[in-house]
This record gives sequence, C-alpha cells and structure tokens, in this order.
Amino acid sequence: MIVNKVFSSYTFRFLSFYVTGLSVAVMVILVVVYLTMSRGYFNEVHDSITHQLDTFSDVYQQHGIDASRAYIDKQMETLKLNRYYYLVVDEEYKKIVGNLGDWPKFTDYGGGWLSFELDLLELGAGAENNDFVARSLQLPSGEYVLVARLYEDVIVSAQLVSGALLRSMLVTIVLGTIGGAIIAGLSVKRIDVMNKSIQQIMVGDLSERINVSDQQGDFRELAYNINHMLDRIQSLMNGVKQVSDNVAHDLRTPLTRLKNHLADLQQDLGAESQEQVRHLIEEADGLLATFNALLRIAQIESGSRRSGFSQLDPRVILLDVVELYEPLADDKSLRLNMDFQAGLEIAGDRDLLFQAFANLLDNAIKYTPAKGEIELRLVAMGKMIHVTVADSGPGVPQADKKRVFRRFFRVDASRGVEVGNGLGLSMVMAVIKLHGGAILLTDNSPGLKVEIELPV
Amino acid sequence: MRILLIEDDQSVADYIVKGLKQSGFTVDHADNGKQGLFLATSEKYDVMVIDRMLPHVDGLTIIQTLRAAENKTPVLILSALGEVNDRVKGLKAGGDDYLVKPFAFAELLARIEAIHRRQESSTTQTRLKVADLQMDLLAHKVTRAGESFNLQPREYKLLEYLMKHAGQVVTRTMLLEHVWEYHFDPQTNVIDVHISRLRQKIDKGFDRQLLATVRGAGYMLHDPDAE
Repeated sequence: MIVNKVFSSYTFRFLSFYVTGLSVAVMVILVVVYLTMSRGYFNEVHDSITHQLDTFSDVYQQHGIDASRAYIDKQMETLKLNRYYYLVVDEEYKKIVGNLGDWPKFTDYGGGWLSFELDLLELGAGAENNDFVARSLQLPSGEYVLVARLYEDVIVSAQLVSGALLRSMLVTIVLGTIGGAIIAGLSVKRIDVMNKSIQQIMVGDLSERINVSDQQGDFRELAYNINHMLDRIQSLMNGVKQVSDNVAHDLRTPLTRLKNHLADLQQDLGAESQEQVRHLIEEADGLLATFNALLRIAQIESGSRRSGFSQLDPRVILLDVVELYEPLADDKSLRLNMDFQAGLEIAGDRDLLFQAFANLLDNAIKYTPAKGEIELRLVAMGKMIHVTVADSGPGVPQADKKRVFRRFFRVDASRGVEVGNGLGLSMVMAVIKLHGGAILLTDNSPGLKVEIELPV
Repeated sequence: MRILLIEDDQSVADYIVKGLKQSGFTVDHADNGKQGLFLATSEKYDVMVIDRMLPHVDGLTIIQTLRAAENKTPVLILSALGEVNDRVKGLKAGGDDYLVKPFAFAELLARIEAIHRRQESSTTQTRLKVADLQMDLLAHKVTRAGESFNLQPREYKLLEYLMKHAGQVVTRTMLLEHVWEYHFDPQTNVIDVHISRLRQKIDKGFDRQLLATVRGAGYMLHDPDAE
C-alpha cells in the first residue's frame, strides 16, 4: 500500500528522472576520466619503450654484444610485468643477442610500432599467447633492434579502471534510487498525514485544523494555506447558518405574538370559528416548535453545552426514555426488547442524551408496524459504549442513509404519513457529535438499526 | 394576586400586562432594573416576573439582592437564553422557575400560579385531597371514594404533582420538568398518553371527571362540582 504510493508518487517519478539524468552525466564524466587516464598511461608506456629502444640501441652500437647482454640481464631483475624484452637481429632476421627467441610474427602499426603474441614459459602455466607491444628500428649498420613489453598489465589496469568506473556508476544509480525512494517515502508519509487530517476535518468537526508545528518548510506553508482555506469555508458556512438561525430566532417573537392574538380572538368567536382558529393556533405552534428545534440544534452544534457535562449512567437515561415512551409502544402492541448493561458511566449532558435517545425511540415506535418488535441495547466495548435502537419498520433506503441527518430531510415514504418536522435525526446527530461519538445506520432487515458509539 | 413585572421590551411587557389583567391580577410594570428593584423592595407582591437582561441592574442581581434581604417572594425568571447553565444560574440566584422567551401566555400563567401555590403550600403536607380523590403521601396510597388504586411509580408522581397543583393549569413542559425531570422537546404527544392512562385509573367509572384537558395549554386536576 505505502510502497505502491511511494512508486506512484510524483516525487518518486521526479527522482527517477533525476537519477537517470544523473547517471548519464556521471557516465559522460567517467568516460572522459577513463579516456584521459588511459591515454596518459599508454603514452607513458610508449615513451618508456621508445626510451628503452634508444638506450638499448646506444648500448649495442657503442659497446657491442657483451655489453648488451649485461644490460639485458640487469634489466631482467625488475618485476616480470614491467620487464622489457630485447632482441637484435641481423639483416636476415637472425638473432644476434636478446632474451627473446626469434623475430616474432607481428602486426605492424607503422612508425616502428608493432605487436605480437608469444608464449612466455617463464610466466608460468596459462601464460600462453601473451600480448606484447613493441617498437623496432633498423640501425645504420643494418641490424634490427626490437624492444618489447608485456601488454597484459596495461590491459588489466585499463580493465580495472573501466571496471571501477562502471561500478561507481552502478553505485550512483543504486544509491540515487534508494535515496529517491526514501525521500519520496518521507514526503508521501507527510502528505499522507496531511491527507488524513484533511479527511478527518471534512467528515468531522470543521473547526479543527492541521497541526502546523508538525510540518516544515513547504509543507508548513501548505498546511497554513489549507488552514486558511478551512477558516474561510467555516466562516462562509457559519454565515449561512447564522442567517437561518437568525431567521428562526427573529421569527419566533412575531409568531408567538400572532399565536397570542389568535388565542385572544378565539374567545370572542362562535363555536365554528373557534375551531378554525384552533387549527391556526396549532399551525403556529408547529412552526414555533420547528424554529425552536432549529435553534436548539444550532445551540448544541456551537458546543457551548459541553461545559454542562457531568458523569452519568446511560442505563438510567435509557430506562427513563423507555418508561416515558412505553405507553406509546403499548398502544401499537409493540414489544420492546431491552438489554442494558449496568454500571456504566459517561460524561455527558443528561437532557440532551435523553432527547437523542427519545427521538430514536420515538422514530422506532412511529415506523414499526403494529405488533412489531423494537430492540434496545446498551453495551460497553473497550473505551466506548454502544447504544443500539433497532426497529422492524420499513427501514431507510441505502441512498438516504446519509441524508436523513440533514435538516428537514424526510424519507419520501414517510412524507405526509407520519407527523414530524424532519429535524429529529439532525438533533440526534448534533447531540452525538457534541459528545464526541459516532452514529451508524444499518439494515435490520427488515427495519432500521441505529448504532451509537459514545466515548466513556 | 399582585404581580410585579420587570421587563424592558415594551411589546412583551404590554402583552404580559394585558394578559395578566384579563386573568384578574393586579400588575405593576417596571421597564428597567433600577426602578424594578425599587418597587420590589418597597412594595409587597405575591409573585414577581423578572427578565434576565435589563438596563441598569440585571435580573439576577435583583433576585440576589431580594434574597439577601430575606424577601421570599416567588420569582419567575424570563430569558431569551435557553441554556441549561443559564437555567441553573437563574435558579441558584434564587429564582423559583425559569421560562424561555418566546412563550405562550398559558405557559406563563400556569407557571405563575404554580410558584405562587408552592409558596402557599410550603408547609409539609402528608395528605392531598381533590374531591373524593385522596393521596396519602406517607403511605404512598391513593384512594377514590374509599377504593384504592395501584399506580406505577411515575403515575404516582404525576398524580402527586397534579394534586399539588389542583385547580391550576399544568402545562406539558411543566410535567416533563417536574415529573420526568428532563428538559427536552418531545416530538409526539407522549405526555397525553400518560395522562389518559392516569385518567383511566382515577376517573373511569366515576361521574365526576377530575382530570381535565385544557385546550391549548395543558391539564388540570380539579373538582368540577366545587366551582
């Protein structure tokens, strides 16, 4: 997972290109180094051969055969690989003096330069076909002088150098790739951390921010900018919410006045008109209840009620809810199956939790057909308590499961069938969020299962 | 009954004054905290209705001042703030009840009568009686015309509250707050169901129906023949 992410990350791809470019550059540099080095080395070998040829020719010409032999013997004391081989032949290529056998078969490169292969038994087994590089010249007296040198060591050192260069290039590529992967991994991890906090903010509390102090450099700036963007989103959202809350708030007073006037009016009217006015008053009451619910939700969402939290037993609240709603369930012959774990304690607002559980049970009773069953459960799981309310009603279509928490949203099938303002579950959501919990709707097949998770 | 209203919002004040006068009460109105405090300390009232946010002296300070001076007149606090904490603060300051604006007049009236009655009947009673319905608070026994009922604990509490406020309108919110002791907003007529169950037990088979529904306001337990 993280490995896939590293390889598909932009940073890693960028680094791959970088490593490729780097390898090409290193290769060019190494080729130049190789050429320069080998050229210097060859020149040195050539110069020394030319020097040996001149010296040996002089010795032969001026001091004769014996001096030449002595010279050769002296030279033979040096290391085998650096050893020079000498040969003087007459015009018919007959050996006069030297430590090589016969005049070898050679390849001529011009300018007196030649090369040949020869078995050198003194170099031990496997030393057949040794490469030699040699130079020869013809003395004014007609003899041919040849100085040869083993080429093996030149080739070996050239191979050594090129091998070393090749290896260092490989190391460059490998190290570059590993380094790239590590750096990409680090940046992927950082982006991952940031992505996770953004996701959390998006699903949860919009007032949360990315921790800027965790970040450095560019990432810090990115975190800053994201936070600023969230500030802006939040203030825009608050603006919208405030407008609707203000509307609700400001309309409550005139509505109450309207209702009171209607009540005044009602008393002065005949029976039939009184009935009509009563309907009007009920309408006004409904509107007021809706506005009040909206404002209550807004107030809960503001988080100000957190200061009123106290330690309480969720079982007691659930039992009170059940006790209040039991007659409603009885009227529909519904069976309430309860399983409440005793002795639990959570920090919360008693009235709000009562409200949330009451709304859920109220819904369950409303939507479960007569003689159905409703299951209520309270269990502790680790550091959470789970409250489940499951009914055997028509349930909520999968597509609507998220939308039911929106204000005024009602599942189509229930529109107009059951009374309600579409704020019940919004209220539940607001309460659960205030308590740092989560809510999940699943299928009870048939019916709806509401699972609530609250931190202990 | 003589009532003092301290409220700075003119339209709310007019509406309350008018309603209370129609209900047969004498009402004095002060539109700021200073004048309100002056009236409250210099005159004798049965109930005071005090807004929390007032110019010059705020509502809670007035109540604290009165309580410090051993003035025990029942006080109903009015507030636009519906916070639980505000409610607690208001009651701690010495208020007897708390009503969030805007409210229906019936709710205000019911609460004024309730706190007034609470003051009158603060002496410990051991026996409640409405017509031939009797409740023995010590033995936890309820009888009507000598016949005893089996009431669930909550039904008993509900009936006790209704009997303590016999002859007064009791709203649904008041019942939720005092019998169930939760401040919340029931989405359905769940209280009505409880009332009708209680009615089944205490009124069924009797000519005189004691537990009446007051349309648009709430319920009232009373002796219809006594009025």
